[in-house]
Amino acid sequence: MTTATESSTVDERTSPGVRIRDLTVAYRTPAGELPAVSGINLDLAPGSITGLVGESGSGKSTMALAMLNAVQQPGRITGGAIEIDGLGDVLSLSPKQIRAVRGGSIGYVFQAAQNSLNPLKTVGKQLLDLGRSHGVEDRRALVRQARELLSRMGLSGERVLDSYQHELSGGMRQRVGIMLALVLNAHVLVLDEPTTALDMISQANILSIISDVHAERGLTTLVVTHDIGVVAEVADRVAVMYGGRLVEQGPTVDVLRTPSHPYTKGLITAIPRLTGDPDVARPLPGRPPTLGTIPRKGCVFRERCAVYAAGAREDCETLDPPAHDVGGGRLVACHAVEGEQ
Amino acid sequence: MSTTVEVPVVKPVVPARRTKFLTNLWKVLRRKPSRMIGAFIVALFVVMGVIGPWLYPDNLPKSADLLAGPSLSHLLGTDFEGADVLAELVIGSRYVLTAAAVAALVTVVVGVAVGLYAGYRRGRPDSALMRITDFVLTIPGFPLLLVLTTVWKFDSALQMGLVLGLTGWGGLARSVRSQTLSLRERGFVEAARGLGLSTPHIVSRELLPNIAPYVAMNLLIGVTTFIYSQVGLFYLGVLPYNSTNWGVMIQLAVNNGVTQTGAGLSYLMAPLVAILLLTLGVVLLVDAMDEVFNPRLRED
Amino acid sequence: MSGEIEGVGIVKTYQARGDVLKGQAVQALRGVDFRIPAGGAASFIGESGCGKTTLGRILAGLETYDSGQLRVDGVDLSALRPRKREPYFRRIQMIHQDPYSALNPTRTVDAILTDPLTLRAKQTGRPKSWIAERQREVLSLVGLEPDYVLPRYPHQLSGGMRQRVVIARALTVDPDALVADEAVSMIDVSLRLGILKLLRELRETVGVSVLFITHDVATARYIGSDGELYVIYRGQIIEHGPTETVIADPVHPYTQCLLSAIPVLHGLERPGPDRLVPTEPLADSQSDTGCLFAARCPFVTDRCRTERPELGHDGGTGQEHACFHPERRHVVAVSA
Repeated sequence: MTTATESSTVDERTSPGVRIRDLTVAYRTPAGELPAVSGINLDLAPGSITGLVGESGSGKSTMALAMLNAVQQPGRITGGAIEIDGLGDVLSLSPKQIRAVRGGSIGYVFQAAQNSLNPLKTVGKQLLDLGRSHGVEDRRALVRQARELLSRMGLSGERVLDSYQHELSGGMRQRVGIMLALVLNAHVLVLDEPTTALDMISQANILSIISDVHAERGLTTLVVTHDIGVVAEVADRVAVMYGGRLVEQGPTVDVLRTPSHPYTKGLITAIPRLTGDPDVARPLPGRPPTLGTIPRKGCVFRERCAVYAAGAREDCETLDPPAHDVGGGRLVACHAVEGEQ
Repeated sequence: MSTTVEVPVVKPVVPARRTKFLTNLWKVLRRKPSRMIGAFIVALFVVMGVIGPWLYPDNLPKSADLLAGPSLSHLLGTDFEGADVLAELVIGSRYVLTAAAVAALVTVVVGVAVGLYAGYRRGRPDSALMRITDFVLTIPGFPLLLVLTTVWKFDSALQMGLVLGLTGWGGLARSVRSQTLSLRERGFVEAARGLGLSTPHIVSRELLPNIAPYVAMNLLIGVTTFIYSQVGLFYLGVLPYNSTNWGVMIQLAVNNGVTQTGAGLSYLMAPLVAILLLTLGVVLLVDAMDEVFNPRLRED
Repeated sequence: MSGEIEGVGIVKTYQARGDVLKGQAVQALRGVDFRIPAGGAASFIGESGCGKTTLGRILAGLETYDSGQLRVDGVDLSALRPRKREPYFRRIQMIHQDPYSALNPTRTVDAILTDPLTLRAKQTGRPKSWIAERQREVLSLVGLEPDYVLPRYPHQLSGGMRQRVVIARALTVDPDALVADEAVSMIDVSLRLGILKLLRELRETVGVSVLFITHDVATARYIGSDGELYVIYRGQIIEHGPTETVIADPVHPYTQCLLSAIPVLHGLERPGPDRLVPTEPLADSQSDTGCLFAARCPFVTDRCRTERPELGHDGGTGQEHACFHPERRHVVAVSA
């Protein structure tokens, strides 16, 4: 199994870099427009796999959709830019351009792939639909490409293309989702919870496939998940979201070894472990915020923060902590951490 | 693009104690003006049916003015005998509405009971009940009623309603049964069984409230459906002649040449428009039913 | 403390639907044996479709079994008439995976708890005033504030709180055992440990035993590190023993594959020295002759394909396995 520490030999000319700047997405609620994602700044280096980790209410799924400018009503992107090499700012493309980009340049694998496949059509037909809507003329080449991808992932291309969604297992459907995302030669891949509803062994295999496909095709990949284990196995860098903000980012191994932000620390400590003293794991008090309960001023995490509980600081209450560079490619948004530097 | 989103002050959500049904209903109605209009229309007809006929004498005065158009003394004109159309409309509403309401009630009570019980118990009770349901579904309601009228004169609205209801519950039973079949697999129903709660409790407290919106909608829409059935029967002249009945009004209007000469158009149109208006009211009101019974949608 | 649960040779077969003439049987459980001491813990791990959920449902009385013996406190339930079995099954309560669908969305927490308590009051001859008291008791046992939760509807509570209400409801009938089937998989990561801790504590405060069914081995370990771990594959228990032993030194290749698949938190951990690359069942039909795992086993031999190994002792460690070529391999992550 490939580990996160192996570097992929990648031609950086084909892997695009992605720069997310100041992204804000808001949702219309009876209480007014509330931000689900606030001022996100994130760089996806060319050829890297980044894991975006967050719980419910963190805004990570909204982030994934925003990459395709596919945020639906009652949500809308209210600010920021997502620049992709070779495409420009995805958020300022025309509807026609964005339709070509979706699938053509950015591949998207939906959460629980069984919900994104049409139950009434065979996989092959859906593949052709995809090709048609992107104006692909050489259909045979498309099918060949699909078969190659599927066999690369350990499936019989012939058989799968002739199957309906319910005839395939969960792991197989997820692979089909990945194939459909890449068959038009996209170079940016976004996966939303690629391992939900899969059991451990299927999960391990899918992660292995994601790593391998990423390296072979020179992709830039973003994996959105709530599972730190997934990120640990597959991502070079990790970005942690809470309450719509990015609270920490850095190389996966470093962040896991020495987490900086109190939330990251708490999250890692709250994972039950397989070796050592079971009681080393401690629960995180409180609960993740919903759209309506995100604090509007100051640090969004303070109500659950152990550091704040030990000694309340005024800046935690009034100022939203900015991302602070702590060296080694790591950014942390925490007043206490900044103060220690 | 750079706009900042103003985050408004969010008041902490204070949970209400269990609010009464009527208070809830009022709150839900107020949320959309269309629902208020619907409720108002339905209420108007209910009042018309209950109180209306008391405002008029049993035998309406006939005037010399036959099939006249609307005027100040006769707001909706007169009928072929010179009686006031508006008066007839109001008097006729009681029978039609009562029969329709009774029919809808019978359909819902029988259909839901059969559907819930069959869906929850499954096995042999289910098969037996579904056989009966299939039988009821296969009976052609309309011809059956036509046949029945040869031996039975439906004098009272209650009788009419009963017969209509007893022939019409098949479809509801089937759909309630299929909803019950899927509901019973939900965790809370299994938990109720595991905790030893009785079948009557499970059916009435666990299952029924979850299909309540569907039942309420069916009840309301059933009323309009049964109005059509009745009107159809009376129009065909199959049922007893009673001049102050909407269906009969339409029949008599046509028989007296309203469609040919155009005289007394308001006599023909009045009952038709009344039916249309009531249907509209019901449709607008039905929109509120889902929210009234589903706590999830009732967030303030 | 009462409430020891024992299963001997439990068999459950489903008739697959489809062809009226040629019904195909699916063997969900092929004769499983297990024992859960009173107040103890047992975990059942395996992939989806291995039969662990079926076993949990059989224990909670939600499914029947075809043959074998299920004993609660020594009483063989299959020897009793269905009506007489009910009180025994009520002593084993199920905690479902989905905390939302496990609570009636049209009823408040107050109503949800009052229903079983009213029944209980009648059974034990207690007055009505006891009901409100006991409500508050079970809610504080699960760490919820009664005044906050009682008037609320399920959708007004977070996933973690809902699951606590589900546990509180199960406690209203004073059960001997809780069957938790993937009880935390639909809850936010930062809240999972809280529920796991609660289940672990209840073993001491209330004396219930916990049967934990999951594919996430680490959660099973947290609740029952002092208990037994059973590994199920295609309806057969292929390895079981003390939880810590089976995790650290598994002997059956399937257990090793399962444990190898667990993500390693690189930076915090290192991969285990004997970690394997697990194989996935992509083909639908798997043969029933020989060892059930033969088609996927990295160490398969000819004997494995023709003969099926029985569950047997490894000698001296309390660990049993069903394999012709057992070998200890340390596959789980070690601290970095």
